[in-house]
Amino acid sequence: MADRRPAAQATDRLAFLLTLVPWLIDQGRVSVAATAAHFGVPVDEIRRAVQLIAVSGVPGETRQYQHGDLFDIAWDDFEQHDVVQLTNLVAIDDAPRFSAREAAALIAGLQYLSALPEHADRAAVATLMGKLSRGASAAPSQVAIGAGEQDEVLDLVHRAVEGGVQLEFDYSGLRGQVERRRVDPLRVESVDADWYLRGWDHLREAVRTFRLDRIARPALTDAPVDHRTSDVALPDELFQGTPDDVLVTVELDAAAAPLLADYEPTDAEPVPGDRVRLRLRVTRLGTVARLVAGLPGDPEVVAPAAARAAVRDWALGGLQGA
Amino acid sequence: MPAARTPRVPVEERLFSLVLALLATDHGLTKGEILSTVQGYRQRWSSAGDNVALERQFERDKDDIRELGVPLETIDDPAAAGNNQALRYRIPRGAYELPDDISFSSEETALLTLAAMVWREGTLSGESRRALVKLRGLGGTDSVPELAYAPRVRSRDAAFEPLRTALDRGVVVEFDYLKPGDDSPRRRVVAPYALVQHQGRWMVAAVEPDTGRSKTFLLSRVTGPVRLTARTAERPDDLTASSALAELDRLWAERRAVVRVAPGSDAETRLTKRRGSVPADDAGLEVHYVDLHVLAEELASFGPEVAVRRPDELRELVARRLRRVATAHEGSPRG
Repeated sequence: MADRRPAAQATDRLAFLLTLVPWLIDQGRVSVAATAAHFGVPVDEIRRAVQLIAVSGVPGETRQYQHGDLFDIAWDDFEQHDVVQLTNLVAIDDAPRFSAREAAALIAGLQYLSALPEHADRAAVATLMGKLSRGASAAPSQVAIGAGEQDEVLDLVHRAVEGGVQLEFDYSGLRGQVERRRVDPLRVESVDADWYLRGWDHLREAVRTFRLDRIARPALTDAPVDHRTSDVALPDELFQGTPDDVLVTVELDAAAAPLLADYEPTDAEPVPGDRVRLRLRVTRLGTVARLVAGLPGDPEVVAPAAARAAVRDWALGGLQGA
Repeated sequence: MPAARTPRVPVEERLFSLVLALLATDHGLTKGEILSTVQGYRQRWSSAGDNVALERQFERDKDDIRELGVPLETIDDPAAAGNNQALRYRIPRGAYELPDDISFSSEETALLTLAAMVWREGTLSGESRRALVKLRGLGGTDSVPELAYAPRVRSRDAAFEPLRTALDRGVVVEFDYLKPGDDSPRRRVVAPYALVQHQGRWMVAAVEPDTGRSKTFLLSRVTGPVRLTARTAERPDDLTASSALAELDRLWAERRAVVRVAPGSDAETRLTKRRGSVPADDAGLEVHYVDLHVLAEELASFGPEVAVRRPDELRELVARRLRRVATAHEGSPRG
């Protein structure tokens, strides 16, 4: 009866147990509620973890897990007052190290943050990276993010969030028109080289995503924000489909098809000559023209005819200017 | 007492008991001792003999525990070299515990919390979350400042995870790579030494084991699955993520092209804000790049919004690409 590989949750729960024990030792006596709040997990999970710790230990000399070989807790306090106090300790005194991968994830995250104006304190970041490396069980893997351009808009977004005020800016929308927008900033995200501001748009009265490089003349306002990260559910996708979306069928070399992953293609269908056909949802035909003109793998828009024409005109226009 | 304790012991209880037992021993425990005495194994251990499934379970558990950064050590018995059953296992306390002098202020904890939130998908986000739990375990009960907004980065290239695993294991990988400018992908066999994001693009820096040359590959151009081989390769000391980034920065600073952009166009907005872009003579814009073919693709996508001034090779690449696209979209579809 070979066991299935433990789910990721089992190792996550182990990491939690190994972390919880030394923390509880340091606290002495602490309520389940305070523990749950500190680690940001449900109270039930804390109770389960404490119950497991209380019956765990080492085989000991008798190899029978005798009473003194096990952790123990003040059971009455736990059962009657929902309070935890370890009364017998086994094997663990101190907090565990970070794994090499955990440290690497935090270090790469720090490098990314240090490219942002508000976290540009390089000395503080370097100190932290040193601590993480020393606190890891092996050398952190080599993952790094290069510095980007320090952006004036990012700086203003940060100041708007800090001051709790709305941000306003000129935005060139999808159809080329420029509008003055007022936004409650919620989050900044980047996908590859492209930066986006997600926020509550007072003009559209909805959550909208703005490309940072299409934002012009940004300014702080005096108006306080109406919406905060804590009360708006941000969908995972940057952009939501709209009824005006056009479905476009594109054919290209199968090897290049993964490059379209960002456009959430559907119905990939093999075509002779190691090519595939897939359908993309786009907001307007101009998007397809830009996409296809820059894509490797000999892409061809098959349908609709209007999209084919848009691509051809776009390319011919480019040739005229050259 | 607990012999009667059936049914199965939960996975985390078995793993927790294994860590406790191996931390508590100075001289180490043999596999036989572990399987016959440690909670979660002993219930399934047969003194009569066949413990093959249980031994396999133990091997997997060791891997899982090591993944968490727990330094599970194997000690060879010099008197019985090569005898698998005589190997002893333990977790040395010094390598397990966080050094005493490492602590984090509440400002540092806040910054690390933000750093962990940077990763919005993939295993980096899972590992960050686990690191945060460990970090919380170091703190008192005082609260960590609430974060008003968090910048996020996506690492969605399919090649990212397998390459990261290859980095950790120090092994050679194989993948199909569609080199910018080429028409078809070619098989690459390389030893990765760093994953870096440069100007928004994820790349893997790697050494070709046969030639010893260092190269960078765009993750978005890895067209098939990444296969990890059993062949190991030491990372040369001078090749790091920072050295890879520095080399890319050097190329970026050195390589420049001049284009004209249509006023008010998307191309103008984007190319002007590109790192290092400066106005050039005759209303031109000087832009930097690492790979001429990648730049040609980027510029071609701007269509009529951009005209290349120099170098000539770039102008020709863009024009050739646009001619090909225009031809492919004449009349009815060829399919």
